[in-house]
Amino acid sequence: MNAKIVTFSSYGDKTILEYDPAAADMDEVNRVIAEYEAKTGAQPFDMTTGEHIEKVTRQQNEVLMVHPIAGG
Amino acid sequence: MLFALWLSATRAEIRYRDGSAYVLSVIVLLTLIVWRIVFASRQRRPFMREMAVPQRRNNNVVDLEAVLAIAGNRFVNNSHAMDRFERRNRAITYLRRIVALTGATQTSQGYVLDVGTTRFFVRDGYVERQRDASDPKCGYERACFSLPYNRMPKEEQIATALLQLRNNPALFDRWAEQSGAYKADGQGFHCAQ
Repeated sequence: MNAKIVTFSSYGDKTILEYDPAAADMDEVNRVIAEYEAKTGAQPFDMTTGEHIEKVTRQQNEVLMVHPIAGG
Repeated sequence: MLFALWLSATRAEIRYRDGSAYVLSVIVLLTLIVWRIVFASRQRRPFMREMAVPQRRNNNVVDLEAVLAIAGNRFVNNSHAMDRFERRNRAITYLRRIVALTGATQTSQGYVLDVGTTRFFVRDGYVERQRDASDPKCGYERACFSLPYNRMPKEEQIATALLQLRNNPALFDRWAEQSGAYKADGQGFHCAQ
C-alpha cells in the first residue's frame, strides 16, 4: 500500500507525493515536505492521529499538509 | 384514365369528322396535356421518393451528430459537475475524518471542539471561543479566519481550523489579533518566505 502526502487547495484535496513507505528514501520525502513548507507555509499532520509532526516516518501512510491561517 | 381520354377523343373525332377540325384539335391537345401531366407526376414521384430517402437519412445523420454533440457537451458539462460534486464529497469526507480525529462534534450551527476547558465553536470563516466551558457566565470571543486559497471548499477550511486549534489552541489569539498568517506551530508566515 502506498503512502501519500496530500494537501487542501482551491481545487479540493490534491496529492503532492505518493510513495512506497517500505522502499522510499524518507530523507527525500522529508526534503520534498520541507520545500513545500518553505514555499507555502503548510505543515505536516498525521492523518491517523491528527497530530502535527516534525518529520514523516515510514509509519505514516497519509500526511496532510495544513496551510497557514490568517485572522481577520 | 388514359384509355378513357383516348376513347373520348376518338368519339369526338368520329362525331365531328365532317365538322370543325378545330374542336378535334382542341380535344387532342387537351388529351396530350393531361397525358403529359399524368406521366410527369408518375415519373416525378419515384424521383422525389429517391430524394426523400437520402434527405431523411441525412437528417438522421445530422440528428445523430447533433445528439452526439449535445450528449458530448452534456458529458463535458457533467464531468465538470461531477468534478465539483466529487471534490465536495471528498472535502466532506476529509472533514468527517478530521472531526473524528479531533474529537469535535457537529451541531446545527457548526462544529464544537473542546481543548481542555476551552470550547471552540468553529464555523465557516470564523471561530468563537469560550475560555471556560464549565462556567456558564463565561462569555464568547470571536475571531475570523481565512486561508490563502479563497476557493478552497469550506469543509476543508473548517477541517484546517479544527486541526490547528486542536494542536495549538493559542492560535485563536493570533487570529483575533489580525496580524497576518500563522503556521500551525504558531510561527508567522509571509508569502515572500
